Amino acid sequence: MRLHKLRITSFGAIESVDVEFGPGLNVLYGPNDLGKSTVVAAIRLGLLLPHASTHSEQYVGWTGTGDPTVEMTFETEAQRIWRVRKQFGKTGSSVLHESRNGRDFNEVERGRKVDGRLREILRWGIPEPGGAGGSKGLPTSFLATALLSPQEEVGAVLRNSLQADSTASGKEQIAAALQAVAQDPLFVALLRETQARWDAAYTDKGAKKTAKGSVFKAAAERLNETRDEKERLERIVFESEGAEKRLRDLTERRTQKQAALATAGELAENLERLAAHAACRSAAAEQLRLAQENLQRIQRIGTETEEAERETEKLAKKIVEAEQALNAAKGWQAEADVALKNAEKAAHAEGSDSGVTDTVVRQQLELRKAAVDKAALDAQQKIGNAEAAQTLVEAATTAERDLQDQESKARGAADAVSQSATKLAAVERELRRCDMLERALDVQAADKHVAEAQATVDKQTDLSSRLETASSDRARLAVQRAAIAVPPASALGPMRRLAHDLAAARGALDVGLVVTVRPKSRFDLRVRKDGQEVDVASNTQSVDIEARAEVELGIGDIATVHVRGGRREAQDKARNLEDRWSREVAPHLVAAGVTDLAGLDAKSEEAQELDSNIKAKDAELESLRGQLAGLDGAAEALREASDRAAVCRAALGDIALDTLAADLKNLGADAVALRKRREKYSKETETARAAAYQAANDRTLADERVRHSRQALDAAVGARDRALANFPEGLDAALRAARSALAAANDEKQQVAAGFASLEDEIAARKKRIDEALSGARTNAAQATAGVEAAQTQLTTAKTNHAAEHGRLVELRKQRDAENMAAAEARLQESIEFHAALPVPERVVSEEEVGAARNAATGIKVELDGIEREILEAQGALKQVGGAVARERLRDATEAFDLAARQEREIEAEYEAWKLLLEQMKEADAAQASNLGQALGPAIVGRFQDLTRRRYETVQLTAQLATEGIMVSGAVRPTEQISVGTREQFSTLYRLTMAEYLGSTIVLDDQLVQSDDNRMEWFRALLAEKARNFQILVFTCRPGDYLAKRALVPKGSFVHADSDGGFVRAVDLGRALRRR
Amino acid sequence: VLRLLHTADWHLGRRFPSFPEEGQKKLSRARMDVVGRILDVARRNSVNAVLCVGDIFDDPDPGADFWEGLAKTFQGRGDQHPPVFLVPGNHDPLTPESVWAPDHPFRAKLPRWVHVVDRDDFTYEISPQAVLYARPCRSKAGENDLALALPAREPGDERLRIGCVHGCTFDIEGYQTNFPIRRDAGVQRGLDYLAIGDTHSFRDVTENLPVPTVYPGAPESTSFDEAGAGRVALVALFRRGLRPRVDAETVAFWRWIDVRCRDMNELRSLLTRPDLDRHVVRLHLDMTVSLSEESEVERILRDLRGTDATHGRVGVLLEDLENLRLQVGSGDAFPEDLPPVLKDTVARLDRLVVEAIDESEKSRATRALAHLYKLLQSHEAIGGREV
Repeated sequence: MRLHKLRITSFGAIESVDVEFGPGLNVLYGPNDLGKSTVVAAIRLGLLLPHASTHSEQYVGWTGTGDPTVEMTFETEAQRIWRVRKQFGKTGSSVLHESRNGRDFNEVERGRKVDGRLREILRWGIPEPGGAGGSKGLPTSFLATALLSPQEEVGAVLRNSLQADSTASGKEQIAAALQAVAQDPLFVALLRETQARWDAAYTDKGAKKTAKGSVFKAAAERLNETRDEKERLERIVFESEGAEKRLRDLTERRTQKQAALATAGELAENLERLAAHAACRSAAAEQLRLAQENLQRIQRIGTETEEAERETEKLAKKIVEAEQALNAAKGWQAEADVALKNAEKAAHAEGSDSGVTDTVVRQQLELRKAAVDKAALDAQQKIGNAEAAQTLVEAATTAERDLQDQESKARGAADAVSQSATKLAAVERELRRCDMLERALDVQAADKHVAEAQATVDKQTDLSSRLETASSDRARLAVQRAAIAVPPASALGPMRRLAHDLAAARGALDVGLVVTVRPKSRFDLRVRKDGQEVDVASNTQSVDIEARAEVELGIGDIATVHVRGGRREAQDKARNLEDRWSREVAPHLVAAGVTDLAGLDAKSEEAQELDSNIKAKDAELESLRGQLAGLDGAAEALREASDRAAVCRAALGDIALDTLAADLKNLGADAVALRKRREKYSKETETARAAAYQAANDRTLADERVRHSRQALDAAVGARDRALANFPEGLDAALRAARSALAAANDEKQQVAAGFASLEDEIAARKKRIDEALSGARTNAAQATAGVEAAQTQLTTAKTNHAAEHGRLVELRKQRDAENMAAAEARLQESIEFHAALPVPERVVSEEEVGAARNAATGIKVELDGIEREILEAQGALKQVGGAVARERLRDATEAFDLAARQEREIEAEYEAWKLLLEQMKEADAAQASNLGQALGPAIVGRFQDLTRRRYETVQLTAQLATEGIMVSGAVRPTEQISVGTREQFSTLYRLTMAEYLGSTIVLDDQLVQSDDNRMEWFRALLAEKARNFQILVFTCRPGDYLAKRALVPKGSFVHADSDGGFVRAVDLGRALRRR
Repeated sequence: VLRLLHTADWHLGRRFPSFPEEGQKKLSRARMDVVGRILDVARRNSVNAVLCVGDIFDDPDPGADFWEGLAKTFQGRGDQHPPVFLVPGNHDPLTPESVWAPDHPFRAKLPRWVHVVDRDDFTYEISPQAVLYARPCRSKAGENDLALALPAREPGDERLRIGCVHGCTFDIEGYQTNFPIRRDAGVQRGLDYLAIGDTHSFRDVTENLPVPTVYPGAPESTSFDEAGAGRVALVALFRRGLRPRVDAETVAFWRWIDVRCRDMNELRSLLTRPDLDRHVVRLHLDMTVSLSEESEVERILRDLRGTDATHGRVGVLLEDLENLRLQVGSGDAFPEDLPPVLKDTVARLDRLVVEAIDESEKSRATRALAHLYKLLQSHEAIGGREV
């Protein structure tokens, strides 16, 4: 995370403050009581506190005007820039925006959701507001403490740990940062290879990859291919074996059937033979029976002839008796006929007189009936006509009402047509207006794009210019740097040690010497002491030569005496060190053009400063190039934007933008609102068009109905008038008269009907009396006639029977005479003898038995034929599928399938093992990384030892980053036992190390007030170095602790001043901040 | 003396799907290569005829590569050559769609001395004193005894009579429909020699009968269970009534063997065996190895089978690793100075091995250890950490 801007208003004692931060070290300075810690608190609240929290009440402006407001812009990663604005208080608000370029922001959250989102972005181990574990006041966590702890909580980080965090996000963030740094390279290499194996086989979700090219796919395809081939061949073999089995079965069945056929044929033959024997005996028996019957028949003819003679005599007597009975019946019949004739005469005489009278009465009644029927019909007709006329009158009235109704509806429809047309025209106007506004918006948007593109082009030009300047600066610095030849800074220490050692070694030789020369003769004496020539005044007198370490005497050309102070070891050491000096140091001094190490130090510092400047320039150049790279195509974008603007203006046509200004102002250039408006009018237009169409339809229908109703009315009125013309006396009077006439006619009809009924009763009584008299006479006559007929019938029957019996007698006598009794008896005897001579069969065989045996044999033969056919079919099938060939191929295919299955299992096991290995490697890695103390400790310890010149051995951190203590002289001591200054320095180092790993902003609120100058200087160097890696905000009342004097904000109206290539920014809070 | 070369079961076009792809091609090509060697043997022995008794092709309609290859081999022998008789078998029966059909282009490419037995009454006078009778298979299976369908010796016929049919002389359940041949068919039909083909090992099925009935076997094996394969029969017929002499001559290039190794030494010694490049080896590894030994096993197998860059020591290798087991756990295979995180990984996997509730979990964890071990080894091989 890196803060870009901070704006605070009405916050505690602060009326307003507006600060832009640099990317590295930001030193915000000002006198005591200015409000520095309030600014730090505002940062904490802006990032961590929900706006409605009562915790913010302590920051309400002291003058009571306006709610405390904090707005800050910060970046979490490249192109992820956030702006949060919180107005604290019960009626406060929060809003979070996001941007990719730091200029165009989009709102992403508002209200209560802002804090949840912020905590998700920060990942500091703070839960969402309102959830379990949330605190009521200012929420905190280990990371929040480490990065933002206030001045009064200098050592808070040493008392806290991740243990107390409500969520794991802080720990995860630290672990991820440490893990990435701490992984062993060998492990990383193996993990990468294992991951590659995993990736080759599994999807991100751990499922097996089945797409083309995956290891499983190839094996599965091979397995499927071999399985298909195997199954195909198995089917073939199955069919083949089935065909073979069928063939065997059929062959066996054929054998069985052939045996069965032979047996059945033999049985049938045997039965046929027995049946033939039985048939012969049966024929002989029949002959015998016929002979016996013939003899019996001849004997029966003789008997019947005698009986017929006796019957003929009996029937002749019956004929005589019947003739006598007939004569008696004829006498009774004559008497009955006479009695009947007399009765008929009497009946005729009574019937002719009464018939005339009945006819006259009936005619009169008929006449009355006809008259009354006509009168009733007329009356009925008149009533009908009157009622019809009444109906026509009512129909005319109804038609008139209908016409009025339809005319009313037609007027309504015409009004509706007019209204819908008006509405349609209105919405179409609005729609056209929307089109214009859309085009106008397009024009405005295009103009905006042109302006933006122009700005980008300008920026590009500006950046190019800056790039050029920076390049030339960098080149100049490089030339300067190239002119300085100094050893690396790390080499200066050993040089200094060498100088020190050399001085010490020389010191050891500096023992003081006094050499006395007493010449005994004259000689030339040359003296050189401590490396310098000395003039000797006399070469004849004794001379004392005093030196610190070394004396060299040249005695003529006889000898040179070299006297050196100190022990031999010291001399050797000094000589060695001198040699080393001449080898290791002297060349650097010469190269640097200096004479001593102090000069070399100065040159080295100069070179370092130049290196630093060059590096800063490189960073600036890289930044500028990066920015310029992002602006590639700006000119093209400007051209395109201009073209687009021209096209949009052309689309707007002659209409001036000013005429649309009011609407556009109302819309606020809101294309969405306009689109909604246009959609609304489009819908309304559609609705209005539909309504107009419907109204026109309704009107047409209404007009048509009016026309129909008018025609119906005209027809009804005509019919009514024509009907009323038949009733001049009035319709009601005519109806009443007709109904009276009808009632009178009905009364007369009833009277006539009564007359008819009386006449009919009288006629019926008379007829009954005559009929009874005639009936008795007729019955008597009929009985007499029946008696005659019965007697006649008996006579005829007697004669017929006699004649028949007589005829039969004659016939029988003829038959008896024609038969030969002796011949018949002889034939009978012959038949008996033939029958007795025939053989008797073993058993009785029926026709059915023989037939069944034959049928059985035939059936077996048919079955046998069927089996033969099936055998041929099975042979044919077998030839197609190929028995042994298929089995051989199946064997190969099975082997191939087994191999493929084994290979698939093998691949699966291999990759399952890779999967397991990857899981275990990751778990081991996570377990290693989860000991955060182990991972973070060395970095802190290294700096702490450097700071304290190894006074402290190490630092004990737990896995959850709790500080157990500091190791001193082999014992762990709680941090409370070390000095306040060292504790605050250790705490600061801990926090800086953490921020460095996370690449996050850290706020130091006057953390190092107890530090001495040396350690402060050490810290200053550290902060300057780390400012290149992450952002540090230092709030202090002593800017000199952190900044060189030249880096302070110069006098004038500037609020901030940058140095060190932009990595150090001094902010004069006294100018940036307005107090109430 | 009438000399014959009797061969069968070439199975040109046969596939070997259970072998690695490279091996499949070698074995498939070997079947074509052996034809040339067979014809060389025929020439060297000055035979009067070459009888190829069925299953010349593995399929009645083989790929053009195979029938064209065979025709080309024949064409390469020039115009003067003892007659060669090709008899359709149950693998390549004579059907209208088969390579033997008169209108098939294969027929047109054959030299005139190659005769296809494409009639049921095929007769050929090899010499005035010798006549050949042959009958083709017309389907992939059949119940008829084609040998008994050959004409019987006529009274007074004193010529040498040679029969030539493809089928099965044994009477095994399920094989009755594979063109059964009675063992005494040669005697019944008055033949002097009955040349048959079907099974792939050389065998005289009628050693106690006066008429030899011989399977020459496949000239190149098709599987590991064909002990007597790889040969042809050289037949010398002296005169009627005297049992002909039948000799087997090896023509195969490949020798198929099963090798079983029960420990590392046996496996290592395989590397010293000569002539493995002419062998088809089915290698069964039946042993338990440590992580380091497993790597050696892989190295040896790579040597035997060859790589993209080098030939293998074995001609064709079929690996059976079903019974190759890994010792469970890491043992002392890993170095002491591993980075802590890798030590932890090994320890975790060892723990999984110990706590595994079944063999599959144990095997999985052991395999994972083996993967890790090999990764470390390969890292060492490319200049990384020493293991």
